[in-house]
Amino acid sequence: MSVFLECKKIRRTGFLQAFIGGGILAGAVPVVNMAVRSEIYQTKQGSPLQILLSANWQMMAMLNVLLVVTGACLLYHTEYADHAMQKMKSLPVREISIFSGKVILTILMSLLILAIEAGATAFCAYYWFEARNGFWEELGRNFGYAFLLMLPCLVLSMLISEACKNMWISLGIGVVCVFTATMLPTDNFALSLFPFATPFQMFTGTDLAQVTRYIYAAAAETFVFGLAELLLIKIRRSFA
Amino acid sequence: MNFLSLTGIEFKKIKRSKILFILLVATVVLWIPSILNAHMNFKMQAEGISPENNFFIQGFMGMSWFMFPASMVVGTVLLSQTERTNKGILKMLALPINTAKLCLAKFFVLLSLAAAQILMMTGMYYISAVICSKTQAYYFFLSPVFVGKEAAMLFLAAIPMIAFFWMLSVCIQTPIFSIGIGLASIVPSVLMINTKIWFAYPMSYPFFVITSEYGKLAANLNTAQVELIPWIPVAFAVTIICLTVSCIRFGQAERR
Repeated sequence: MSVFLECKKIRRTGFLQAFIGGGILAGAVPVVNMAVRSEIYQTKQGSPLQILLSANWQMMAMLNVLLVVTGACLLYHTEYADHAMQKMKSLPVREISIFSGKVILTILMSLLILAIEAGATAFCAYYWFEARNGFWEELGRNFGYAFLLMLPCLVLSMLISEACKNMWISLGIGVVCVFTATMLPTDNFALSLFPFATPFQMFTGTDLAQVTRYIYAAAAETFVFGLAELLLIKIRRSFA
Repeated sequence: MNFLSLTGIEFKKIKRSKILFILLVATVVLWIPSILNAHMNFKMQAEGISPENNFFIQGFMGMSWFMFPASMVVGTVLLSQTERTNKGILKMLALPINTAKLCLAKFFVLLSLAAAQILMMTGMYYISAVICSKTQAYYFFLSPVFVGKEAAMLFLAAIPMIAFFWMLSVCIQTPIFSIGIGLASIVPSVLMINTKIWFAYPMSYPFFVITSEYGKLAANLNTAQVELIPWIPVAFAVTIICLTVSCIRFGQAERR
């Protein structure tokens, strides 16, 4: 129910267009990179997907994370800007369902951008490389993994935007967190679990045990942030 | 009302915005990894750069690549949203003030935020240099004249970029697009500085200036150098066009 409500709310905010545009931009990264300097990559060892992602994933993930952070800020900004939130709170709706509606909507959007990116990557693999058997399976695994690792970042940025009434504060915190994620050393497992850093991980080139650990960690983080949201609502209401 | 008092009012408006705190957090986050990895600076001798220069320039590169431009995008959001949230802009437009002047006053506030962040970054550099000099038993300080010159260059190079972001936030009413375009335009600046047409892309100026300084400091590293001739006229043109457009467009959506 609340998801449909959220869909209606975003109609004139440019939310959908921004996600489609961002997805196309991120999808353009591998295509442009291959179009400009394909000869560097075609001689490299490894499967097409491995080459493509190791060359472009950092930038694509950065765009994804920025898009999720901005989207989350916007979803709550529309509520806070003209005091719509007060109306929402007076309705016979649980406050958590507003949050979960927004989270589900952003999850759908991130599935959309990942699908666009997967399509662009598949195009590159078929156009510039000889894609072998099992390519689609590999592609699905990679982007599925990317999706799972995006969840903690998504829920946390939604939590930040809910907690801060002013958009520049939530955006500022989000941007600082993204920046921190880019500064963290990649070889340290504990530090790479920072929610804004997990989307930069890649499935290819990581051994299976590590992948499982990342998936468990991402699930745990998502769960913890969900709990934090419940707590935030309870605490804020008792002090309001 | 003269320009100075208008700017003073704009500063009062953002007094409780906590923006300086966010800018400060960004600079603190920037230097922590540098302090923790201070020993890495000694391994860069192969490039012919001294540890203290490397320590300084790596930090500034990290800042000018993403954090500084992104903070400016946050600053534009602050300036436009403080007015729009409670329709304060309608009141401002109802006053007998030249809207272009108002727009420029806001731009000036944005420039001050940029200057404040660069100053904080420089301050944090000296604090972290003290810490690293203690932990590594090596003198990490650079002369304030040199550091000040680099900081001033970073600031000057950022003006066209800030003008561009300001134009975005004035002209595009939908916040997600002005923020999204701003943030998305920062990401490709890494690629743009390696092309021949870097001077056509204002978002890459700060990073380009700092990387070219890196090339100067490191004897064995060749980075592209600043060519003043296509750059300065283009930068001037970009700044003037962006400011003119934003002065014309400022308040137009509200006055409809």
